Amino acid sequence: MRIIETQDLNKIYGSHGNTVHALRGVDLDIQRGEFVALTGPSGSGKSTLMSILGCLDLPTGGTYALDGVQVEKLSGADLAAIRNEKIGFVFQQYNLLPKATILRNVELPMLYAGVPRKERRQRALELLERVGIPDKANTLPGALSGGQRQRVAIARALANRPALLLADEPTGALDSKTGQEVLALFHELHAQGNTVVLVTHDPAIAALAERRVEMRDGLIYDREELAA
Amino acid sequence: MKTSGAFRERLQEAWIELRSNPGRSFLQALGVMLGVASVLGGFSISDSQRQQSERLFARLGGIDKLNVLPTDTVYQGTPSALQNANRGLRLEDAVMGGQMASAGAVDAVSVINQARARVRSEFADQEREVSGIGADYAPLNGYQIEQGRDFSSHDYATGAPVVILGSQAASVFFPTGEILGKTLRIGDVPVTVIGIFAEKTFRFREGQNNIFAWRNRIVAVPSLLVAARMEGDLYHRLDRITFRIPDLEAMADFSKELSSLVTTNHRLQSDFRLDDVYKRMDRRRSQGDVYNIVFMLSGVLALIGGGMVNVNIQLASLKERVREVGVKMAIGASGSEIFKAFMTEALLLTMLGSAAGYAVGIAFSWVITKSIGVPMAISPLSFVWATALAVVFGFLFALYPAAKASRQSPMEALRYE
Repeated sequence: MRIIETQDLNKIYGSHGNTVHALRGVDLDIQRGEFVALTGPSGSGKSTLMSILGCLDLPTGGTYALDGVQVEKLSGADLAAIRNEKIGFVFQQYNLLPKATILRNVELPMLYAGVPRKERRQRALELLERVGIPDKANTLPGALSGGQRQRVAIARALANRPALLLADEPTGALDSKTGQEVLALFHELHAQGNTVVLVTHDPAIAALAERRVEMRDGLIYDREELAA
Repeated sequence: MKTSGAFRERLQEAWIELRSNPGRSFLQALGVMLGVASVLGGFSISDSQRQQSERLFARLGGIDKLNVLPTDTVYQGTPSALQNANRGLRLEDAVMGGQMASAGAVDAVSVINQARARVRSEFADQEREVSGIGADYAPLNGYQIEQGRDFSSHDYATGAPVVILGSQAASVFFPTGEILGKTLRIGDVPVTVIGIFAEKTFRFREGQNNIFAWRNRIVAVPSLLVAARMEGDLYHRLDRITFRIPDLEAMADFSKELSSLVTTNHRLQSDFRLDDVYKRMDRRRSQGDVYNIVFMLSGVLALIGGGMVNVNIQLASLKERVREVGVKMAIGASGSEIFKAFMTEALLLTMLGSAAGYAVGIAFSWVITKSIGVPMAISPLSFVWATALAVVFGFLFALYPAAKASRQSPMEALRYE
């Protein structure tokens, strides 16, 4: 079953002749349970594609179905709900809320989804255990190391059992050893049945993925296609 | 957020935000605090003053009184024959007034006619104002018998030669303390002292003079005694008639009817005036209302000033918080959720500011009322007003930053550095 299905995605920034054509007709299908690495040089359009796949932005043209929902025509509030229910984001800079405790950070997506307090708390604690930091629930993000923060971010991304884990350079801010550990966690989650799309510019990391998709000048090529 | 506990969650979120920026939160709450303190303190001060004057009027014998007083009709030149023939305010006016159709509302009528006379005892000899009073005069003017007895209806009806003294008069004419039963000469008339009024005191502020001191000088005899034996006044002219009308609604009707009755009695000459104590009181009260408006205005100005500061602080802090908003949006917060979160923060600030404002306002009022020596009074309504104003302005000024925060594009907010 397809989690992501895009047809002829276009994205044009700017207007009145001063435009940038960031996506030039992207057709991309990703099946449930796949581990896909999205690579490409900067300016290739991978951030734009990532924003659209993550429902943070809408395409200028083309269609995009996420887990069976057509999203290209949705309103801002509906997109927020889709992000909340179907997508788990992991960012390079972790993007935890610095003033909230680890527990609250993990609970937040469930809070927006309206999960009752008790259930929320229980699941958040479970998730923290699953990502390997069970004893930090009541500390603030500032007290954690980069690797630990990224684990919290992953726990948060998993909170609402998303259809898609979308990671943008998740190891970019980590040293190589911690990066390896975080990457191992992604592979573990993949093995448990999660669909993972990982954006990276590091060929070594991309090489570990089941499937590699490369972007160039607003178009995508599967790695196999390029080799051929 | 969809659960019923959503508000509580937002409040918790807002509390975390405020607590982690104590300096900024304090500045934001300051405007609210000053506004609330100004309204509450100001209202409390004018309430305290007003209650003090109400206490004064209560001591004067209540505010539900209508006085009829004689006035001069001739200011210049020679009076006309008609004016000469007019007999002025008389007992008849009081009696007929008490019998009018609208007089059902009247529960007491008092009359007084005064004369100057030499008053002599074995200890003192003074020129004094002697008050000839009618039956309800003492209760209507807040006098109470302390020793002896009140005038009987027989005393009033016959103009008996008996006298009741105010506390000051008693101590002047009988310094030895043996007073009841003694004889006093008023002009040529020997009268017997049958009672003494309790001393009356009222000080507007602590340490000030007793403004009721003159009332303790009273030398009271039955009204008829003055008319018949001191003034030799056949018509029993009066210096004042007072009607007490507890139902203030009935006052207007009564005074209209009374006015036409007395005018008729006086051969269509308006040689009298009506003095509605309640109206006088009301005028004073509306002066108090002016102060209230001034205090409220200064409160509103403080709230507007504080509100503008808040808008600025919020907009400036929004820059720091763009990323946070972006993250929240990325993990599923809708624009309206962000909007509500900012509004909740403003509400919490308003509440905290108001609470501080209560304390400051009460302290402010306490200091002022203490310094002018009036007991402090705060009506619950002042709290309602102060809080309502703070909430309204807090809400209005929070709208813009909240709307601005909630309308950001999640993607741009996330990329903001």
